[in-house]
Amino acid sequence: MSFVQEKAENLDACIKCSACTAMCPVAAVNPLFPGPKILGPDAERFRLEGLQLGTTLLNYCSKCKTCEITCPSGVKVTEMITRAQEDAQMSGAGKTLQLRVRDHLLGRAEYLGKLATIWPNLTNALLRVPLFRKFLEQILGISSEAPLPAYKQKFKGSGPGRQSKKQVVFFPGCFVTYNDALTGQAIIKVLEHNGFEVIVPPFHCCGTPLEGNGLVREAKEIVQKNLALMSPYTQAGVPVITGCTSCGLALREYPSPAMSGAEHHELQTYDLFEFLWELHERNELREDFKEIQISLGYHASCHLKAQGIGTPSVRLLRLIPGVQVVDLDQGCCGLSGSYGFKKEKYVTAMQIGNPLFNRVRRGAANGEFQTVTTECGGCQVQISHGSGLKTEHPVWVLMQAYGLN
Amino acid sequence: MWDGIIIGGGLAGLLAGIRASERGKRILIISEGVGSLTYSSGALDFGDVEQLQNREKHPYALLGEAPVRAGMDYLQMLFPNYQGTWGVTQDLLTPLGSPRKASLVPSGQNAEALQDAQQIVLMAPEGMKDFFPELIKTNLEKAYPQCIVYIHPFRVSAFESWYALGKSVTGMEYARYWQSKPGLEALKRVLYCMTQIFFPNQESIKNKKSVIIFPGLAATFSDPLKEVLSKAGLPVIEMTSFPPSASGHNLYCALKQKFKSLGGELLAGTGVQRIESQGKLCGKAIVRSKGRFTAFSARSFILATGGIFGGGIEVTAEAAQETVLGLPLYVPAEWTKSEFLGEQPYARMGIEVDSELRPINSRDKEVIFENLRVVGRMLAHWDPWSENCGGGVSLATGWFAGEKL
Repeated sequence: MSFVQEKAENLDACIKCSACTAMCPVAAVNPLFPGPKILGPDAERFRLEGLQLGTTLLNYCSKCKTCEITCPSGVKVTEMITRAQEDAQMSGAGKTLQLRVRDHLLGRAEYLGKLATIWPNLTNALLRVPLFRKFLEQILGISSEAPLPAYKQKFKGSGPGRQSKKQVVFFPGCFVTYNDALTGQAIIKVLEHNGFEVIVPPFHCCGTPLEGNGLVREAKEIVQKNLALMSPYTQAGVPVITGCTSCGLALREYPSPAMSGAEHHELQTYDLFEFLWELHERNELREDFKEIQISLGYHASCHLKAQGIGTPSVRLLRLIPGVQVVDLDQGCCGLSGSYGFKKEKYVTAMQIGNPLFNRVRRGAANGEFQTVTTECGGCQVQISHGSGLKTEHPVWVLMQAYGLN
Repeated sequence: MWDGIIIGGGLAGLLAGIRASERGKRILIISEGVGSLTYSSGALDFGDVEQLQNREKHPYALLGEAPVRAGMDYLQMLFPNYQGTWGVTQDLLTPLGSPRKASLVPSGQNAEALQDAQQIVLMAPEGMKDFFPELIKTNLEKAYPQCIVYIHPFRVSAFESWYALGKSVTGMEYARYWQSKPGLEALKRVLYCMTQIFFPNQESIKNKKSVIIFPGLAATFSDPLKEVLSKAGLPVIEMTSFPPSASGHNLYCALKQKFKSLGGELLAGTGVQRIESQGKLCGKAIVRSKGRFTAFSARSFILATGGIFGGGIEVTAEAAQETVLGLPLYVPAEWTKSEFLGEQPYARMGIEVDSELRPINSRDKEVIFENLRVVGRMLAHWDPWSENCGGGVSLATGWFAGEKL
């Protein structure tokens, strides 16, 4: 099927029911945002005739993909909006110089991370100075109230770890690399505990922050670099594993490398818990878990939901004796990568997250759970910021159950 | 390995999932979108059960009366605010203000109080989408000629930016707002102002039997909202709405929440590509995850993918096809009739089953899969529109499949 034809068919699948807009977290709190139905399939009809919308409205989409998950007719709403942003960008419509500079910076989580982790303590100290944050807001449009994550000592991979015939490649992602090296090491320990040798090639950012900030061409370049680093392993059948749900979604959307011959080459990237669950299903997971008396509130990130693999971490954590998991099921946290860091979107992001924050506070107050767990680093930061409750990656529960920490 | 995999997360699929989970089964529901409850009024029709039970091959005829009763009782047990008595229908209002009947009605929608009312105040929120107060007034006057109908227009400050932009507010947006903390306070003020205008003293309330009709309000699953309404001093009747509808959506959310709280997992946003089977046993559901298929194994399966509208049946000009397993369908010889709002034969399209709801061959009546049950709209030989039994068939077959799994 030709691309244009596919585009038109996907467009016709929209029956204008408005279920997407009814579920859109941004439309619910921001009247200026016309919602996914109008920006996606409705405006697409005009775009097919060559009429472009400016980027200002399009950029209010936080790319959480709730509309795509919600659509009963399988319309790729977010995809349409992303493509429209890309086209509008090319036609030059839209952003002021300040926002262009800001989005170039926020899109480059990798360069920012490299710069910030040269001397993380200095960076963090600086980011704590209110005057400096005001300066960032004035000059760069980065909200002075936004929960910018602290930088840590850079993640350096596994070092001389376990050697094994069973190998996996670990894709750490920017959050682990620059903000949360300990979680990266925990993931490696858990995989090694299960008998794997963990290889960490010098990957770049997955490309999601670039795409989220409208830098689609740059995103495509970085994808090619990562694919080149990955291909010797994927060709040898070594799975690529990530603990970050946004990186995980991006890797699943990477173009499949053109393979020689007719051999079917299946995608080799896995979410950490998806991978561990498959081990469990094959009776290959170490399940010598220690009992842990803990109850957790679990938040499924939007980019995990968009992967269509369910919630494997909930399944897995429930295998551990004593662990209770409550699925919070309150939609998007609002941060959506760097969306909630932007000064014109900070308030919207906090309003989006409010039902979740309220649910967390209520659950913690009535003793339903003690802490919150979610795979996504961005969600962790936003939930802690909005609710005040400690929020960690679920791998830490597994570390405790294995007695590894 | 799951005890059961349910394909489809609408009313029948969710109810089956809840019942089976309650019986201690480990259940995974895989759902393409959010089901079609968000398009429904939230009220559930059972139709004339006694008559339909005698209609050959009708789902009620296959099951007999007991499961139909059980489905009705079970929903009321789960959600005591749903009211209904076997064999008795209640009045409720359509979005155009004319009365209709249904079997199970969210308590707030019950319009019986209009029977002996003398005065009606129709609340008219500013800028509400698909809300036509003058037309509703005319229909109410026609249905309840003993009544004087007043329209009470009002604005809500939280939506001022919507009004200023000329953007309509959907009933779902109003309904969601009334449930929030500031919304509850605003609702108290709105009701107070209305009372001051129409019922300035206690005497005026007592003298005439008065009823408030309130569109864009869904209080069934919100105790704080019910409390505010109970203090209004007069009966408040919610209206049903055009899609997307808050009452239908709230029922969906309540079912989903109940299912998850019983330990069930809901994988939404993607569908099942095919089922792997051996002989007469289904074994694995192959799910379209992002970038790759994921296999989920189970002992039993329930097919709840809906009919033509839900995407379970794909219809082309030439043929109709069941989308997941390619099961044989009953397809009437003549699909349509010329009378637009008359009975349409295509509505009876679906899968033929035995009394255990297992799919059968139409020729020899032999069961095709021993561990698969078909529920809800996907079943053949019934018509929700001409028989008014959409909710009843879904609840009865969903309950039955959940009980047997």
